[in-house]
Amino acid sequence: MKLGQAFKIAYHSIAAKKSRSFLTMLGVVIGVAAVIILVSYAQGQNRWMQEYYESMADNSIEITAMRWDGKDIAQPLYEYCLGLDEYVQGITPFGQIWNRLIIQYGAKALDTDANYDNWYDRPQVVMGNQEFSLCKAYEIVNGRDLSYLDVTKENQVCVLGSYTAEQLFDYATPVGKTITINNLTFEVIGVYQERDPNQMQNLDQLILVPYTLGRVLNNNEAIQSYVAKARSPEATKKAITLIDGFLGGLGINDANGYYYVQSPDEWKQMGEEEQQVQQRFLGGIAAISLAVGGIGIMNIMLVTVTERTREIGIRKAIGAERRSIVTQFLIEACMLCGFGGIIGIIVGYIGTLLVCKQSLDIIVLPSVGIIVGAFFLSLALGIVFGLFPAVKASKLQPVDALRAD
Amino acid sequence: MLIEATGLYKIYHEGTEAEVRALDGVSLVIDRGEFVGIIGASGSGKSTLMNILGCLDVPTYGTYLLDGVDVTDLSDRQLARIRNRQIGFIFQGFNLVPALTAYENVELPLIYRGISRAEREEMVEEALKKVSLFDRAGHRPAEMSGGQQQRVAIARAVATKPPVILADEPTGALDSKTGLDVLDILHWLHKDGATILLITHDTGLAATAERIVRLSDGVVVYDGPRGGAPL
Repeated sequence: MKLGQAFKIAYHSIAAKKSRSFLTMLGVVIGVAAVIILVSYAQGQNRWMQEYYESMADNSIEITAMRWDGKDIAQPLYEYCLGLDEYVQGITPFGQIWNRLIIQYGAKALDTDANYDNWYDRPQVVMGNQEFSLCKAYEIVNGRDLSYLDVTKENQVCVLGSYTAEQLFDYATPVGKTITINNLTFEVIGVYQERDPNQMQNLDQLILVPYTLGRVLNNNEAIQSYVAKARSPEATKKAITLIDGFLGGLGINDANGYYYVQSPDEWKQMGEEEQQVQQRFLGGIAAISLAVGGIGIMNIMLVTVTERTREIGIRKAIGAERRSIVTQFLIEACMLCGFGGIIGIIVGYIGTLLVCKQSLDIIVLPSVGIIVGAFFLSLALGIVFGLFPAVKASKLQPVDALRAD
Repeated sequence: MLIEATGLYKIYHEGTEAEVRALDGVSLVIDRGEFVGIIGASGSGKSTLMNILGCLDVPTYGTYLLDGVDVTDLSDRQLARIRNRQIGFIFQGFNLVPALTAYENVELPLIYRGISRAEREEMVEEALKKVSLFDRAGHRPAEMSGGQQQRVAIARAVATKPPVILADEPTGALDSKTGLDVLDILHWLHKDGATILLITHDTGLAATAERIVRLSDGVVVYDGPRGGAPL
């Protein structure tokens, strides 16, 4: 028997039993679509979680750089980062003063060396520039932020964290008032908004002053720490490499100082851990949906072929060789499962879009791997379980096959 | 000799308490062109004999030469070839493929034989015309009466022009009028040169055969011309 004729027989057999063929195909469609939707949904959720963690990670870069000879690094570093506009949004010195400081407004005084119940109640004078609020995620709620001129002109101005403002001024407006720090006068130009208490570093006890005043406030000690803000997680990585290279290029080495550049990676780490959990979850979902879809296909093929044992008997009685019967059922299974698989892919594709849009509000397209995998799974299962009973039935004596109901 | 069966046994569950001897040593010789009626009560083994003679089943013991070839030695593939070329079956239950039209059912053995499309068309037309059913070629079995279905089955059996036609209770599922029509077709095929084996429990039908073989409990109790047969 020629292959063309085998196709003809298989096609007739499928076309003649439309409802049976439809149900068989439906089983395949549901199986394939279920695999695609479930796995894609899990992938979408995975991506959603990843995006969430990336949004939590603030893309900040911590830079520590110092030369023993006190040569200025802040200015060249700032200028270099301006040139990295593609990756870096801003950079600020982040100078903390550890000397004892007395901050006064009228009769009220805060002493950095007093005993505080919580470390975060201790007022902290921080030296930065006009990009401090950007890099450390502060927002002005009253007055104005530090400006470029405040920094270059060494203006004696300060911006208060919400907690410090409350301590010194209660509910009065601090903007425009003058406070003293170790008897140096500072005009309060602005107040930062209270930070989210769930955030890790809610440094609301801060007093920001232009870093150029470090000379008078900090015994002329050079700034060692900087914080930069990159535009994205990818830019963070790129910027770290570039800044690291730049600092090396300044000629800083173990003999005359030190430097290192890093990214605080708490969120990144959490994201990575979460991703591993998700990956395992995804594997589980894929395995279960493959099993469910596979069993569906298996079942329907077993039933449809087994109920045709009598037909196999008839065919053998009129001279069909085993080979032609097996070929016929193989082609039938391929046609049904192939066609059902293609419809299943379409249904799964649309289903994925709908489900992910509905519940995650993101557009997820099923990956090529899962589509190809689901298709070949349906084909393989259809062939194995469509062929197995056909091979079995074709081995029977025709008279036994004819007796089957 | 066309059919030469010697000492055929068909024993189920041999050696156990449930042992059934469907054929208990049957020998039968049939020549080309004969019209043989095989009769017997139900359970006498006549269907088992027909299945073995038609290569649908194998005997437990015994030899069976079909056209001089020992069938018990053949491979599955060679048996398929014999069923396709040497034997035409007509069953009591018609055994048409329900999904296929009358035309496609008749065409099926020709496809398995590897005959070209154009030749098939001619042969199917000829066979369907023989049973006066060419006008129903596009109908499926479920859309036809029992008599029509049996005529389609006959057309399928004769389409390959086999030397032997085995008819197992061909009228069993039909009313007497259509049964006689079917019998007429068999006689007509016989005149055309085919060897006919008609298996039936209906003595009236068997009475039209030239030769009668009577089976009882798996053995031949009469084999001879119609005239002397104890019907």
